[in-house]
Amino acid sequence: MNRQEFKDLVIAETEKTKNSTCKHKICICCGAGCISSGSEAVMKKLQEEIIERGLQSEVEIIPTGCMGPCNQGPLMKYLPENSIYQKVDCSNISQIVQSQVIEKKPIEHLLLFADSRERPFSNADEDPFFSKQLKIVLKNCGQLNPERIEDYLVHEGYRALDKALFEMSPEDVIAEIKQSRMRGRGGAGYPTGLKWETVYKYVNDQKYVICNGDEGDPGAFMDRSVLEGNPHRVLEGMAIGGYAVGASKGYAYIRGEYPLAIKRFEAAIKQAKKMGLLGPNILGSNFSFDVEVRIGAGAFVCGEETALIASIEGKRGTPRPRPPFPAESGLWGKPTLINNVETFAGIAPIINNGGEWYSEIGTPKSAGTKVFALAGKINYSGLIEVPMGTSLREIVFDIGGGIQGGGEFKAAQTGGPSGGCIPAEHLDVKMDYEALVNLGSIMGSGGLIVMDQSSDMVDVARFFMEFCMDESCGKCVPCRVGTKMMHDLLQKICDNNASRIDLERLEELAVYVKEASLCGLGGSAPNPLLSTLRHFRNEYETRIGKYEEKHIEVPQTSEV
Amino acid sequence: MNTIDIKINERSLKVLPGITILQACRDNGIDILTMCHLKGLSDVGACRLCLVEIEGINKLLSACTTRVASNMVIRTDTEKIKRYQRITTELFFAERNHVCSVCVANGNCELQELGYKVGMDHIRYPFLFPECKVDTSHQYFVMDHNRCIMCTRCVRACSEVEGAFNWDVKNRGFQVRVISDFDTPWGESITCTSCGKCLQACPTGALWSKDVVQGQLEKHPEMITELVEKRKLLLT
Amino acid sequence: MTKKKIGTVWLGGCSGCHMSLLDIDERILDVARLADIVKCPIVDGKEFPKVDIALVEGSVTSDEHLHEILHIRKQAKLLVALGDCAVMTNVTGMRNYLQLNEVFDTAYVNAISNDQSGTVPNHPALLRLHDKVFPLQEVVNVDYVIPGCPPSADAIFYVLFEFLNDRVPDLNEVKKLKYG
Repeated sequence: MNRQEFKDLVIAETEKTKNSTCKHKICICCGAGCISSGSEAVMKKLQEEIIERGLQSEVEIIPTGCMGPCNQGPLMKYLPENSIYQKVDCSNISQIVQSQVIEKKPIEHLLLFADSRERPFSNADEDPFFSKQLKIVLKNCGQLNPERIEDYLVHEGYRALDKALFEMSPEDVIAEIKQSRMRGRGGAGYPTGLKWETVYKYVNDQKYVICNGDEGDPGAFMDRSVLEGNPHRVLEGMAIGGYAVGASKGYAYIRGEYPLAIKRFEAAIKQAKKMGLLGPNILGSNFSFDVEVRIGAGAFVCGEETALIASIEGKRGTPRPRPPFPAESGLWGKPTLINNVETFAGIAPIINNGGEWYSEIGTPKSAGTKVFALAGKINYSGLIEVPMGTSLREIVFDIGGGIQGGGEFKAAQTGGPSGGCIPAEHLDVKMDYEALVNLGSIMGSGGLIVMDQSSDMVDVARFFMEFCMDESCGKCVPCRVGTKMMHDLLQKICDNNASRIDLERLEELAVYVKEASLCGLGGSAPNPLLSTLRHFRNEYETRIGKYEEKHIEVPQTSEV
Repeated sequence: MNTIDIKINERSLKVLPGITILQACRDNGIDILTMCHLKGLSDVGACRLCLVEIEGINKLLSACTTRVASNMVIRTDTEKIKRYQRITTELFFAERNHVCSVCVANGNCELQELGYKVGMDHIRYPFLFPECKVDTSHQYFVMDHNRCIMCTRCVRACSEVEGAFNWDVKNRGFQVRVISDFDTPWGESITCTSCGKCLQACPTGALWSKDVVQGQLEKHPEMITELVEKRKLLLT
Repeated sequence: MTKKKIGTVWLGGCSGCHMSLLDIDERILDVARLADIVKCPIVDGKEFPKVDIALVEGSVTSDEHLHEILHIRKQAKLLVALGDCAVMTNVTGMRNYLQLNEVFDTAYVNAISNDQSGTVPNHPALLRLHDKVFPLQEVVNVDYVIPGCPPSADAIFYVLFEFLNDRVPDLNEVKKLKYG
């Protein structure tokens, strides 16, 4: 398909949608979360209901990706009114169709958040859960059928690739990304434009693009939702990246625990190839780009870029020291551009709307929006996207609806096992890369776990340390043995069996592991420990006090 | 030949571009501790003993994998580096069951030497005492996992020098173990050529031949280095 | 100047460190000029007396050892862990990755022996082994360590002599550090 044919096709598809006889659209969330709470059965029942009532020509049923409030699933959205129904089950389908589709009256007690808000909103966009969000990456998630490329084409799909290929040089694309001031969404926040430029500058006849979809933080599901909800957006971002840096081959490394994401992404590749949006001479240009999926085998450390590269090469997934960085010597020693799923998903809007538009969103140092996976002791958990610089208070109380059971907010863990906690006194922190680092945490990939008074922070630190200990690849000594030692010491503190000297030893080890480890896993493994020590030292002191009461005469260990 | 200027521990040096910091140190008689490095084998930066401070870089980098650059200012002897070397050494000892007094390598052991060099008189961390196997199935050699420090020198010697690919690593974290073939007894290996290079590469008493007793094991890791260098000569 | 007091004790070890202590030979006279050895495995006496320096060989393997080391810690101004067993459990710790009953079975039931009864001794007067063996520093404050299996007589004499002359010895300095 050449460029003209592509344009014609987009016009034809758009017309087709416009002229459709279907006045009603019912979207059913078919993300992994809603599927596990039964959305597939709901969809089947809905289809039967529509056929039974003879409404096939009026109602279109669209299986979509994640809509956001995951713990209220299965979710069903009625368009154009934009009413979302929560916890839909087969028994109330008939009632919803009767009332909403035929009588045009929403059923209040089944609407989203009907059980917790005084009055639910019949237009979900007015609900604070959505009104406080700004969706760029997730814009079409929950609107289009991720398994149909035509749906994506109607929603501006592949327009950015077309624009990049025919109206921009690779330098222009990189300049646009640089202007957007976008930073890598994988966690470290390295400026995306700069990374692209570095890879672009290395001269080599073979370069690679890798999409890092090995999302392993406990409680994080941003990448999964993007891959499930809009795989073509990621694919488009990768192709644009390939064009910009001069790569002809891309790999999407998706963790094996995401079978649905893998299935949809592979289907997306097939569809894009069929349309000539991937493969040789894309849209008749000189640019050829092919993407393959690589499935991760369940090691957290493979989210680290050098370990991920080793894994794609078919080796044991262990990191190697940097420098050299992958931009210089990556996959099979070739210059490699490696970005996170969310980063690639944010590329197309930047190309379409311009870098300047993007750079004006967010804070001066962190532009754009960030997707968070809200979890923990919060009323409304799920997937949200907010501009950088949104305060934690807004996220927890406005969007998340506050603490479950009216409890008290204690802390929020960002960045999962590599991050730290933010205590209540910093609720007003404007969430961006620098602010979180200043508080001893990190942005991370976007997991946000909210804790209430019932959480024991020492135990939280122990939990994350156990995770890092299990997931350490075992290559370097500080991480392999250090995390084990720290875990054992934390366990000792949890059991009220640790002395002050144990705590000193723990702190020394934490700094050592952080500085001496080979890769980011070890380098950030002590973060939860260090940040709980910083903000909740009293909880450690209490436990040590309990030990000292028992053993007043015999200090258990000592410095020699 | 072109040289570049670098500074190590306040000493101004002229070195060849492209060499590692470790090489630059060793060439100029600056002592730097290593364990996973063996000249002739590829470097993996796993033991973290050779960490150095470089001005302008806020991370500690391993000297064996970092290449020198013009005007690099390097420190190998700061208090922090010395403290970290001692912690690393202690973690080595605490990780598995190193009983020097009954070990074949007693007195000829790089780990023991390391302990003396960093001045480790005792270990501040609790010993983990993992249950480790001793594989005596090979006709001539023994693999004692109690004494293995996971430097993976044997793995690299086997794959890079002998080309047999007998050794590999299994598991994660502190449960990593060196394995023969697909985790089968060494004696049943179909790839092992019984060349004994892994024994020479091993810094401790983890790999030894059955004809020695306590304290009698002599190792010649320099044999690996020589072999690699002589092969290079042959090829040029 | 009043003479200092030295006490030595042998916990979970093989007595090799005490042999090494005896190997200081005639230098024992230099020690004797500065101190009295008031307690050691061959000096009769029930309770460990108050001493200036306690040399402790061996690791803590049983309830009796635990009781004794806690008592010694109270009695001694300076507690020196003598030898690899005291410092890092060494051979005594080799049972730490086994279950205690496996150890007993191997020693008393399955071992080839003239005693065919094959029972584990269980008299109330016997000490009770702990599940795990600990080096001294995991149980009490240790002031100084002399590793080695056994430590050389030179190292032991050097440390004693320095302490008796109110100096702090440094094994690194004199290159007397040794394990195994």
